[in-house]
Amino acid sequence: MTLFLLIILFTLSLTVILSKKLITGIIALSAFSLISALLFYVLRAPDVAITEAAVGAGVSTVIYLWTIKGTKEDDSHE
Amino acid sequence: MNKIWSFIWSFSSVLIAALLIAFLIFDQAPWPSSSRDYTEASSVQDTGAINLVSSIYLGYRAYDTLGETIVLLLGVLGTLGILQIKSNNEPTRQIQKRRTEFLKVASGKLGPIVLVFGLYVMLFGHVSPGGGFQGGVVIASGIVFLAMGTREAVYSPLVNGGFLKKLESLTFFLIVLSALLGLIVNVGFFGNIAPLVNIKPVYFIVMLNVLIGLKVGSSLGLLCLVFLWDEAT
Repeated sequence: MTLFLLIILFTLSLTVILSKKLITGIIALSAFSLISALLFYVLRAPDVAITEAAVGAGVSTVIYLWTIKGTKEDDSHE
Repeated sequence: MNKIWSFIWSFSSVLIAALLIAFLIFDQAPWPSSSRDYTEASSVQDTGAINLVSSIYLGYRAYDTLGETIVLLLGVLGTLGILQIKSNNEPTRQIQKRRTEFLKVASGKLGPIVLVFGLYVMLFGHVSPGGGFQGGVVIASGIVFLAMGTREAVYSPLVNGGFLKKLESLTFFLIVLSALLGLIVNVGFFGNIAPLVNIKPVYFIVMLNVLIGLKVGSSLGLLCLVFLWDEAT
């Protein structure tokens, strides 16, 4: 179970780094937080799991999305 | 060619980070046990909190929690300074046009439920997983829901920035006051003052949980609302 969740986390972190559209990266980051909250729960740390789910998947995603709405949507270098 | 190199760089950096963490996760060596055994044996008697995590971060090491709240306070101050929000009641109404009816109804109905869950996590932090910080963050998400679901007729004071600012200042003042009170009655900085007035020590933990929860909830909620207003103007 732990190994399975870790493999998912590895794939999601690659998606976050490689995605050209910033929105995709943020949604993948939010999913990363959710899966890692599940991992913390499996590893018997429910306090950390609540924090990770609330901060990582909730509030920080909202702040990132509103920030990106005020700036450019693409990660281009021109 | 450039794409392949960027893929290789990203893949190798993630792989190196994963290998560094894998040593911690799959390590078979026993964890150090002396401080764990001490906490398990005597923390309920010392602080009264059944949840050992909250007995550590509010009983033995409340100083860390004070630093955490100061960092959050600085973050809010910096955001307010950079975005330069002066008066803040009108932009929330200007933004109404772009919200769909579905979003208004759904988030307006979800908001109070999330607020109640946040209050539960905050108030029962000493017996169940959770605590002040976690409950505060859930309360902040409830405030964001309320702000997105606000209609013209129903206007909650929680999505008003002035109220949140006053609440944050008041609760931070009370946290510092309760920390300094321990110095005056000679039980140390952030010492547990409850036994001196003949009540159980757990009520000090509950009081700190409530104060920190309200502080974190109001400051994170204010942070999100400031971004919302900045989008509106």
